[in-house]
Amino acid sequence: MSTPTESGNADREMMRSANTFAGDVWINLKRWNLKAVRNPFVLVVSLAQPFIFLVLFTEVFGNVAGGAVSQGLPGIDYTTFLVPAIAIQVALASAVTSGIGLVNDIENGMFEKVLVSPMNRTAVFVGKTLAEVFRIGLQIAIILGLGVVLGAEITTGVVGAVGIMAVGILFSFWFIAFSNMLAVLTRDQESTIIGANLLQFPLLFLSSAFLPLEALPNWIQLFARINPVTYGVDAARAIMLDEDVMTVLEVTAFGGALDTIVPAVAVLVGLGFMFGSGAVYLLSRASSSDVR
Amino acid sequence: MSNEQSIADAETPRERSQGPGASRVGSGEHTSIDISGLELTYGDGTEAVSGVDLTVGDGEFFGFLGPNGAGKTTMIKVLATLLSPTAGEVRVNGFDVRTEPRKVRESIGYMAQETSIDPELTAEENIRFACEAYGVPRGERDKRTAELLDLVDLEAVADKRSEEFSGGMKKRLDAATALVHRPPLVFLDEPTTGLDPKARNRLWEYFQRINEQGTTIFLTTQYLEEADTLCERLAVILDGEIVADGSPADLKRQVGGDVLDIELGDGPGAQARAVTIAHEFDDFDNATVEETETGISVTAQAARQSGTDLLVALRDAGLIVTGFNVRAPTLDDVFLAITGERVDTDGGAAATEEST
Repeated sequence: MSTPTESGNADREMMRSANTFAGDVWINLKRWNLKAVRNPFVLVVSLAQPFIFLVLFTEVFGNVAGGAVSQGLPGIDYTTFLVPAIAIQVALASAVTSGIGLVNDIENGMFEKVLVSPMNRTAVFVGKTLAEVFRIGLQIAIILGLGVVLGAEITTGVVGAVGIMAVGILFSFWFIAFSNMLAVLTRDQESTIIGANLLQFPLLFLSSAFLPLEALPNWIQLFARINPVTYGVDAARAIMLDEDVMTVLEVTAFGGALDTIVPAVAVLVGLGFMFGSGAVYLLSRASSSDVR
Repeated sequence: MSNEQSIADAETPRERSQGPGASRVGSGEHTSIDISGLELTYGDGTEAVSGVDLTVGDGEFFGFLGPNGAGKTTMIKVLATLLSPTAGEVRVNGFDVRTEPRKVRESIGYMAQETSIDPELTAEENIRFACEAYGVPRGERDKRTAELLDLVDLEAVADKRSEEFSGGMKKRLDAATALVHRPPLVFLDEPTTGLDPKARNRLWEYFQRINEQGTTIFLTTQYLEEADTLCERLAVILDGEIVADGSPADLKRQVGGDVLDIELGDGPGAQARAVTIAHEFDDFDNATVEETETGISVTAQAARQSGTDLLVALRDAGLIVTGFNVRAPTLDDVFLAITGERVDTDGGAAATEEST
């Protein structure tokens, strides 16, 4: 048994300096980047599926779909048409891992460990999200590179490529928020993966991603109007082709590709805020010390 | 302890450590934890903690005991600012958990019941992340990380990912991450649950070492042997209320004497008869008698002096005594006396083994 230490050295000074918001963001950004590098599986799998789509779709449907594409967009081959959609698919697939990361943290106790630390809680989530967004940008760059190798053409060049990455990142916010909401609500890795993955395919196919909407049945055209993927893909494609490709909203105020990009970006920003505030609400409830 | 200085460090300003340290703003008195009238009721109406008053002094090794579901973890979560109290006042290191939670978090270490480490990071990276999270100054991080790896004997596997570690290694790593900023108060929630005895003994050594260096420790446990070995003071919680508080020796004294365990040779009927005889035995005032698996157990002040007489009385009644043992009460007996239930964990079993 240890001896009581009345005066003792309990008053020795703690070894710490104050936390700063930026510092806390940086600490978490580093941790999540390190985890992504440690776990190449995450990086590779969220790239592999879209890449397989890119190759298979162009090879299998290239001829058939090319006809449908050239009716609406003369002179555009199917690979060029498809690459922006695959970029958005990457953003979608990668955003799911955000929620999975949160569930893992809840399951292995790191979530609670972070809550008892003096770090700013907003900074903790900002840092984590920045790491994910950084990864999504990188993955879109890889897909664009592969697309060019397969014969796709980015009309707007390097600036356009950066623009597509920006659109992909902007698009990813609502789904990152959504997968985090699933994570907090289910607190279960499998449910989060299944929930998010189940949604991916209907969202992708019931949009302008793989074929021009005119070539699709009416009910799909109707659904595509309220499908976020349509707006992400249209914005990315407008940058890729430097043309107004949007058919769900008729905007003519800006001219050229901007007639697609401006309204699509506005919709994506709105979605980001809507889902973002839902996620912030659920996350702050999960982090709060209020008894439930 | 062998290497006190490894952590106690040359540059900790012990010389000017008398009187309240810089970290303990606004509290003149030397209490680490001050709880009055704490109540915590969950949303479904469960009263996890009802009306707890408790003070833990600086440098104490304090043990918090209770059966599963008694409110131990709820209490520790309130103290670590993970749960807000429903009523009452709780001050940790002088800070109010409700109004100054961040100050509390800065000044404590917390080791959760479930091992909490990032399995994808190495041992060193886990400690480094904790150093950063707790604002250990940049220049100190390397040294502090090395010190802690040494303290918990994980230097050899510092660069290995922690998912490969055994349960004991993970617990030790978890403990190290709770100590990065040299907190004056550390919470350990059932830190050795599920560990083998060797790993458990090793962790005990570490806890004793940091306590000797002046860190206040608040430990919850189901293992009475653990509380007996480590703690200077214990409190027992039952159904959300503190039912006993004192040193292990004080609590054992409350049991009311020594314990005489008697093994009986013949059938179950013999136990009932033996219980009756022991109850009627003149030399034992206020004896507690209970049936055990193999015989009976008698707790009485005169158990040592008059035990043999009881054995003779049993023999005269035609019962066969196959074994007996007189011993001082263990915390297991304390627990039984207070809560009316035996601890049915391997910790309880360990305590019994030790006494035979």
